[in-house]
Amino acid sequence: MYVGIDAGASATKAVIINKEGEITSYAIVPSGINFKVSSEEALRKALKTSNLHLKDVACTVSTGYGRALVNAKSTSSEILCISRGTHILFPSVRTIIDVGGQDSKAIRIDENGRVLDFVMNDKCAAGTGRFLEVMSNILGKPIEELSTLHFKSSQPVKISSTCTVFSESEVISHISQGSRIEDVIAGLHEAIADRIYNMSSRIGFEKDVAFTGGVAKNRGFIDALSKKIGLIPTLPKEPQMVCAFGAALAAIKKCKESVSHS
Amino acid sequence: MSLQKERSRVLQTTKKIGELIMEYFSKAWDLKAQGKPVAWITVFTPVEVLHALDIYPIAPEHFGAMCSARGLVLDHLEEAERKGYSQNLCSYSRCCLGYVLGGMSGLMPPPDILITFRNSCDVYVKWWQSLNMHIGTPLFVGEAPYVLTLEDLDNYVLDYVVKQLEQLIKIVEEKFGLRFDVERLVETVKLSDEASELWLETLKLRRFKPCPLGGRDSASDIFPLVVMQGTTEAVKFYEELLLEVKEKVGKGEGVIENEKFRLLFDGIWIWYAFDLIKYFEDRGAVFVYEPYSEAWAHRLDASKPLESIARKILAMGLNVDIDLRIERFLESIKEFQIDGAVLLSNRSCKSWSTPQLVTADALNKKFSIPYLLFEADMADPRQYAEAQIKNRIDAFLEVLGER
Repeated sequence: MYVGIDAGASATKAVIINKEGEITSYAIVPSGINFKVSSEEALRKALKTSNLHLKDVACTVSTGYGRALVNAKSTSSEILCISRGTHILFPSVRTIIDVGGQDSKAIRIDENGRVLDFVMNDKCAAGTGRFLEVMSNILGKPIEELSTLHFKSSQPVKISSTCTVFSESEVISHISQGSRIEDVIAGLHEAIADRIYNMSSRIGFEKDVAFTGGVAKNRGFIDALSKKIGLIPTLPKEPQMVCAFGAALAAIKKCKESVSHS
Repeated sequence: MSLQKERSRVLQTTKKIGELIMEYFSKAWDLKAQGKPVAWITVFTPVEVLHALDIYPIAPEHFGAMCSARGLVLDHLEEAERKGYSQNLCSYSRCCLGYVLGGMSGLMPPPDILITFRNSCDVYVKWWQSLNMHIGTPLFVGEAPYVLTLEDLDNYVLDYVVKQLEQLIKIVEEKFGLRFDVERLVETVKLSDEASELWLETLKLRRFKPCPLGGRDSASDIFPLVVMQGTTEAVKFYEELLLEVKEKVGKGEGVIENEKFRLLFDGIWIWYAFDLIKYFEDRGAVFVYEPYSEAWAHRLDASKPLESIARKILAMGLNVDIDLRIERFLESIKEFQIDGAVLLSNRSCKSWSTPQLVTADALNKKFSIPYLLFEADMADPRQYAEAQIKNRIDAFLEVLGER
């Protein structure tokens, strides 16, 4: 079996695949402050689901912010893992927009899944999952509810600041001026969609376009970004696992390499 | 990704730069004590003329870079901010203004004259005027018109700059009771030309595979070209450097053992994060060409000393049309066999950063050279997101590796 671990800024994901590249199980745990601990826990959970043991693992590749701290044979960048994972799931995809806990990326790939170009967000949390987490805290609504509330909005408010800290005070003032919470949430989704659209425009939106990363689980955000770009996106069933899946595919390759070297 | 073994990658001659810089600054205090005038200059001001007149030039921009590299910059930046200067201003100017407002008791002795030529940077004039207001020292502002084509230079702007140089000479002669000696100017121009020639020859040796001189060398070794142009010490330094680099080429020794990627760096180096260059090297990537390193050298003709100095002030990379910059970029790709480009979008330097996308796109279009553009400030470490930048570097190198 082959394992991919994506030690992300807010969640750590583990995916187990067989030598055919089929997913047997996966798990997701909060990253906390210790990637070593969270990656071991994610792996343990995933192994348990498919009744496997550590000795069944032939090779592990890690990716994500904490990749260097994970016990793995080698590391790979998120850009390559997301591209590889998405390409295997959806060969017709040419553009990937990935929004994670701490950063967002747009990647252009060719028909073989090779990366042609990529852009990433600046050193700033606006336009990422962290932005939504902060806002869901202020609004006192769990992150899972944001989607449902988004679709109840009739008139999204305009959030003009691109800064998470300033947006926080903007949200508070909208609420205190009597805006409906649904409209504020839809406004926030539009604000990140705008930011991601602007960032991604440099590499373009060649079809098909896939959305991946944890934030792509949020239907409200998908709605806002799809409207902004003007197309229907390709959506993986588990958008948050694509990167770890790409890392697991890299583990198969890595294992073959080390066999041929010895 | 497997990492390359760390061994000494920095040249022996480069290691002497630190001492040379400290000597340069301490000599400034000594001369000041002896009553000799010290000038604060912006870079690409006629240092050869000043050395010929026995006026000691110091560049606060260089001071800013050095403070940043040595972890001392925050004292000055914060001093400027406490007095009300905004964080949005250029970090070199903030560092200098903070130093002035903090009492000027460190490496740079207070100036006897402030000299600037508006050529590469639009902030210079207002920065120098502010220094003039804070310190009260006399100010000379020169103006170098923007050069669209190199023909323009011959046609009409050269005389204009030469006249300003003559005026500068006259002003300092009167102010400090000095006598300008043309023979001495010819001598400093010859020395300056020699140092430039040696540096350009050294940079050309980076075309060899493996590359014998890396980013940490080129970033440090430019110092004598900034303020010591026209001195024998500068020539001596570049002679020694060339010798060492030639020797490395002869032995087939590179900066790193297993050279995988040869990169172009566009921008001013991030002085507080030299480790980033090492980070590239650890992953098999070496910097082989930077427009920044090359910009400091300019050949001079001793038979026309003032005219060739004027030409140097005018033809400085940021003062010429973008076509000329792109042309040099494109040439460098073949000359140095470049695989990819790394561009620093620097919030302090708008002149450098604004046209970067145009230049990078030109590279990409003509040679399909991939590039990585990231943001940071050259001297202010507070805006630097290390993990994110390293993440992008990893992805960029992996993409290069898959090509």
